[in-house]
Amino acid sequence: MRLYLLLFLLLAALFLQVTLLNLLSVFGVKPDLVLITVVFNAFLRGPREGALLGFLGGLFVDLATGSYVGMNSLSMMSVGYLVGLTESKLYKDSSLMVVFLVWLSSFAAQFSNYILLWLMEVYIAPGVALLNVIIPTATYTALLVPLSYRRFYRSNHEGWLCSKL
Amino acid sequence: MALIIIFSLALMHYTKFGRAGASPMESVLKDFLAPAQGLAMNLGHRLRGLVSLPFDLFNAADENQLMKKQIIELEGRMRQYEELRAENERLKKLLDFKTGVAPVKGYELVAAAVIGRDPGNWFGTITINKGSGEGMIPNMTVINEQGLVGRIVSVTRNTAEVLLITDSRSGVAALVQENRVPGMVEGVASSPGQVRMVHIPIGSDVSRGQAVVTSGFGSLYPKGIPIGWTLESDKEPSGLFNRAVIVPYVDFNRLEEVMVITGVRTPRSVTGESGIPHPWGEGKADVRGRSPGAVRAGEAGGVVGR
Repeated sequence: MRLYLLLFLLLAALFLQVTLLNLLSVFGVKPDLVLITVVFNAFLRGPREGALLGFLGGLFVDLATGSYVGMNSLSMMSVGYLVGLTESKLYKDSSLMVVFLVWLSSFAAQFSNYILLWLMEVYIAPGVALLNVIIPTATYTALLVPLSYRRFYRSNHEGWLCSKL
Repeated sequence: MALIIIFSLALMHYTKFGRAGASPMESVLKDFLAPAQGLAMNLGHRLRGLVSLPFDLFNAADENQLMKKQIIELEGRMRQYEELRAENERLKKLLDFKTGVAPVKGYELVAAAVIGRDPGNWFGTITINKGSGEGMIPNMTVINEQGLVGRIVSVTRNTAEVLLITDSRSGVAALVQENRVPGMVEGVASSPGQVRMVHIPIGSDVSRGQAVVTSGFGSLYPKGIPIGWTLESDKEPSGLFNRAVIVPYVDFNRLEEVMVITGVRTPRSVTGESGIPHPWGEGKADVRGRSPGAVRAGEAGGVVGR
């Protein structure tokens, strides 16, 4: 049940990203809701689940993009795993901590995408990548954390997401 | 007693309906009482209002609720009408283009709606609701009434993915319309409002506000489609070429409907170019959505049909 619910959340996040979030883009950048879901889950459930959900979320994004399938799967899986390692080390009740964690995760995922694109011979100037995509995306994504983390946290403890995978 | 009865009967007879005027006594009484009557009636109305106020308030609350519901409903309808009006306006522009500009240029067009965008921020792609079932194939050019949008890169049965000219993987052979200076227009990651024209020969005169159109080299895009206008130019880091920042005519943040060029025939007439309606007709170059006369004599004939 929990797995299906998480998959539904990932798909809903992806659906918003390809449709409505384009209307809310700032300087051509929209937030990464799929990554937010992956990071929340990894932070609360550990590296194993973090890596699995990261891979699935990334795969959905790749399939929706239609090219370079595997790029987001790799980057989000890595980020999910690394965030999951902090599960037992950081205080989970603080939204501020999660804002910082999401910013860092988004930065890492986008940076890893940049490297992977470079390997695929898509060359984008480092300054443009950093200032036009990586930092704005990380910032916009992190700003959405206070709106959603408490809900996810509660659901993870006593709601629909509290069961095992 | 008998006298009173007789007096009363006589009085009744005297004052029966149809007499001309009132008796002096009646007149004095009526005139005297008139102001007091007015006051009393006024007071009565107020008192009645006061007594019925709670009941009226009760009804007013119900009416208020009803009216609020009606207002919400009407506001919803207004929004729907506004949306339909905006859609109608957009479709009218597309239709004007299809019936006005396209025949002059010789374009065979298929209209499509934008149904999705790339989920990430690295690429600029859109998904349209026409696929191989409607004859879409990769490399078909996509435009709207403002100018060049991009080209189809992949198709499914019912959808097609369009690579926008703002995508960093996109390259469009272009030239400055005024002085025919060639170059390559390429996208900048996550910058829907700007593209770059690179590989401009050193010494070329490229100044602000000049229109840039497709050159037709390489046969990917038909010749003469307006792309944008030059904002500024400088030297490339290599020093071998110049480059220019181009502001596209198309507003990529508000793309809702586009047209796919499925084939290019011989233009109807070269002289018909002067009759091309706005924005592909005469106009100022440095305004988004308005492009100058995009095609010079014979330009549109430079590309073969697909």
